[in-house]
Amino acid sequence: MEQYLIAFITGLTTGGLSCLAVQGGLLASSLANQIERDLAEIPPTPSKKNKRIARPVRPNAALPILLFLAAKLTAYTLLGALLGWLGSFLTFDPITRAGLMIVIAIFMVGNGLRMLNVHPFFRNFVIEPPRFVTRAIRKTAKGTDTATPLFLGALTVFIPCGVTQAMMAAALGLGAPLPAALLMFAFTLGTSPVFFFVAYFAAQIGATLEKHFMRFVAVVILFLGLVTFDNALNLLGAPSFSGLFATRQVATAPVEASDTLTLRAENGGYTPARLTAKAGVPVTLNIVTENTTSCARDFVIPALKYYVLLPVSGTETMQIPPQPAGTTLRFTCSMGMYSGLITFE
Amino acid sequence: MKTKTYQIANMECPNCAMILESIEDKLPGIHSIRASYKKGEMTVEYDETQVSESDILTAIERKGYTVHSTNEDK
Repeated sequence: MEQYLIAFITGLTTGGLSCLAVQGGLLASSLANQIERDLAEIPPTPSKKNKRIARPVRPNAALPILLFLAAKLTAYTLLGALLGWLGSFLTFDPITRAGLMIVIAIFMVGNGLRMLNVHPFFRNFVIEPPRFVTRAIRKTAKGTDTATPLFLGALTVFIPCGVTQAMMAAALGLGAPLPAALLMFAFTLGTSPVFFFVAYFAAQIGATLEKHFMRFVAVVILFLGLVTFDNALNLLGAPSFSGLFATRQVATAPVEASDTLTLRAENGGYTPARLTAKAGVPVTLNIVTENTTSCARDFVIPALKYYVLLPVSGTETMQIPPQPAGTTLRFTCSMGMYSGLITFE
Repeated sequence: MKTKTYQIANMECPNCAMILESIEDKLPGIHSIRASYKKGEMTVEYDETQVSESDILTAIERKGYTVHSTNEDK
């Protein structure tokens, strides 16, 4: 249950903004009928250089947005089921997952820089729908106001944002259709309030404020991209910013080297974040969980290619082969979010 | 039939390309419009006996976009 709550909160906090940046265009299209009607009702305003025409208030914007979101929710739930089904045939080792996260991180950073108009090169990070799709969208838009947002909402499934892609990878990792469908449902439901409010109020606030808001979204996406990249580094066992922070945090409290270590995998990460083990002898690592439901349960030591899914509550014991003095082993969760170090002395 | 390519100054997302392409549904005499957000341009193929360039420019402006430059018969 907790994983669905986490997915919902992820959608509510970061997913909504990230998806809005990537899929906002389709949502705008679903409002296009209304925009065009409004524009037709007002005299044309000569546009200033690099400025869009300020959009008029659209009091009827709520219905198309809700239809768009309902279609999006349905499409992503079905996608989740499909991914879960496909995932039952695949296994995702930490290295593959890290590779996927790096690709996602590059995509997110590229999109953030594109939205900030840093250089036209970053426009290459955008997935432009093929012409037959845009034509189909326009043909639909000519029909009724109801069909358009429904169709466009379903189309968002073809342009998932970085956070959504990460969630899709998680759904794939679940390896079963129903939990994967529920995960995507919870996440997409979480993104919906942000979509609704931003889209609804963007229709009221006009172009200038909208531009400022999209810049804010760009900065958030840029930040999330860097965090994703950092998580991928953790997962590869490579030096990372968060790993450096964890090391510094405990540097003031040195622990005597031991051949038996106890590590607590908690919902908020691993405690202690730095362990000291005896060099040159086999070391026993006891990993203790107590109502742990976060990704800290997926415990990885990349250098040893060790991966285990810990029980929600209990103790998992692993034997670390003798390591020379000065060796540092990084451990992390399978998402690269929580990490720590074992130093051999 | 004439073909012109317009550099558009303020395309901000792929949706802008879709909005610009929708001009072909509204303006008689337009054979086809291909707009690209990545290139920041739109190519219009039109029958000059049915529609003038100023009609096209007005339609682009009404959509909220600014033409930066024009290349003829690309």
